[in-house]
Amino acid sequence: MASLVHVDQLEKRFGEVRALDRVSFDVQAGEWIAIMGPSGSGKTTLINILGGLDQPSGGRVLVDGLDIGNLSERELTRYRADKIGFVFQQFHLVPYLTALENVMLAQYFHSITDEKEAADALARVGLGDRLEHVPGELSGGEQQRVAIARALINQPKVILADEPTGNLDEANEALVLKLLHELHESGHTILVVTHSQAIGNLADRRVELEHGRLARISVPSLAKE
Amino acid sequence: MASRSMFLRILWKLLGASRGRLAVALIALTSGAAVCSALLNVNLDAERKLTQEFRTLGANVVIAPPPVSGNDAALADAAVMDRIAAMQVPQIVATAPYLYVAANSGTQPVILAGTWFDQVARMNSWWKIEGTRVASRDDREHCLVGIRAARELGLAPGSSVQLRSGERTVSLTVAGIVATGGAEDNQILTNLESAQTLAGLAGRVSLVQLSVSGTPSEIEAVTRRLSNNLPGLDVRPVRQIAAAEGTILGRIQGLIFWTIVLILILSMLGVLASMAALAMERRRDVGLMKALGGTVPRIMRLFLAEAGTLGALGGLFGFLAGVVLARWIGERVFGVVISARLEVLPITIALTVGVALAGAFPLRLLGRVRPAEILRGE
Repeated sequence: MASLVHVDQLEKRFGEVRALDRVSFDVQAGEWIAIMGPSGSGKTTLINILGGLDQPSGGRVLVDGLDIGNLSERELTRYRADKIGFVFQQFHLVPYLTALENVMLAQYFHSITDEKEAADALARVGLGDRLEHVPGELSGGEQQRVAIARALINQPKVILADEPTGNLDEANEALVLKLLHELHESGHTILVVTHSQAIGNLADRRVELEHGRLARISVPSLAKE
Repeated sequence: MASRSMFLRILWKLLGASRGRLAVALIALTSGAAVCSALLNVNLDAERKLTQEFRTLGANVVIAPPPVSGNDAALADAAVMDRIAAMQVPQIVATAPYLYVAANSGTQPVILAGTWFDQVARMNSWWKIEGTRVASRDDREHCLVGIRAARELGLAPGSSVQLRSGERTVSLTVAGIVATGGAEDNQILTNLESAQTLAGLAGRVSLVQLSVSGTPSEIEAVTRRLSNNLPGLDVRPVRQIAAAEGTILGRIQGLIFWTIVLILILSMLGVLASMAALAMERRRDVGLMKALGGTVPRIMRLFLAEAGTLGALGGLFGFLAGVVLARWIGERVFGVVISARLEVLPITIALTVGVALAGAFPLRLLGRVRPAEILRGE
């Protein structure tokens, strides 16, 4: 079976700095991958390239059969709308839109908006009673759950989460991880950048980077059990 | 439909999100639009008011018979007055026939000009008269005496003067002494029929002076029409007056045009300053929207619609304020009430929307934002 994500000899240079150096790995549909490594190891750069926010300097990245390096700016925009759901550490919600409108914004840029569908997505993450609240009126955990609902609303092929629990307390971290776990259980493909060993242990596989190079790919014992 | 309602929903939220900065931009747009609207109202009305004012400054069209050879003066049939009246040209403010007669007061030669005093008064309200005006064209007892002629003949208001031409004489009472700075200063002005009787030229006139309102091109048009309807007569605009009026109108319109341009540039700079600050605030939102799959045109449409809405609101408020301002300028400068002209509203709104969109240039630069950099917090 063909991989959903195929990364082959991926390179990314920022001037003289080599952020990613000949990284290769594959991700199967429905897998939960933890991308780990110390600060500056290239985790976020990798996620940005997989999400079509950045272009590789060398190598190939295929997602659902699309060669990201060959896409024009316009095609990359369409790719992000169709195939990718982002969850950021800083939540990145539009501050003057309500929770419902933040979710509908992703629908708006994808195709057409459906208010009921957006409300259902928020209800799924436990925010059915917070639809009309703006981000400033929500806790960090609630904001991150809005971001997860937004990431899911267009049924993306891949969910990319960059330190999704980095700004959350333990209780909210547990809530968000439970949600990610449920998404994984329901067949979503998830790539999570994390520093946390605990989160890494929840993944099917861990892709570990060091100085932009692939250090190892491991299968956490928890996932194997 | 759903997308359009979402577009309006986001637009509404955008307008409410940065109220402070948008209010500053709106004030700049409204102020500029108010001055533009006032000046446009004044411009439309000023031409009409000024040409009306000009018509009190003397004749600007003259009708005369073609010159004849020898010593005989060229004369036209006084029936020309009826033919002009029959044409019913609305731009003609006043029509004064003149018959010039070489006469003597005692041994002193003097030119007697027979005319219609009511029409002369309408087209020469600026004449300085010592004594009283002669108001009626039928007044055969009184005359006005030019200031130089009065000095040479020793006449003053209330004096009697007897004029002789050949064997005929006429006695008149001086109503007033007139100073025009022109040929009238050397003449005696009296009723047309009195002059015709004295000269023995019943039903004849030397020329007809007309006061025609309008722009130089409108005056030219009236002149052509008169010329076509009065064959055998020369119809000529008084070039110096028409040219001077045209120059004054042109300068006023030029002044208004360049003031509007300057005001619009200043408004645009005000909007530009607000929008530059707003663009900095919006970088993160644009980066996020691009990350979510928003195309640059689709995102820019939101921000340009926001600027356009501000421009339309500024234009509307500015138009209303401009009507009040135009009224004030009209009363102060022209001494008349300048009425609001509805055709100024779409022009003001179009100009203000244009200024708002031009001032929103910094927002357009947001299209270059790279989402990866913004989302990293750079």
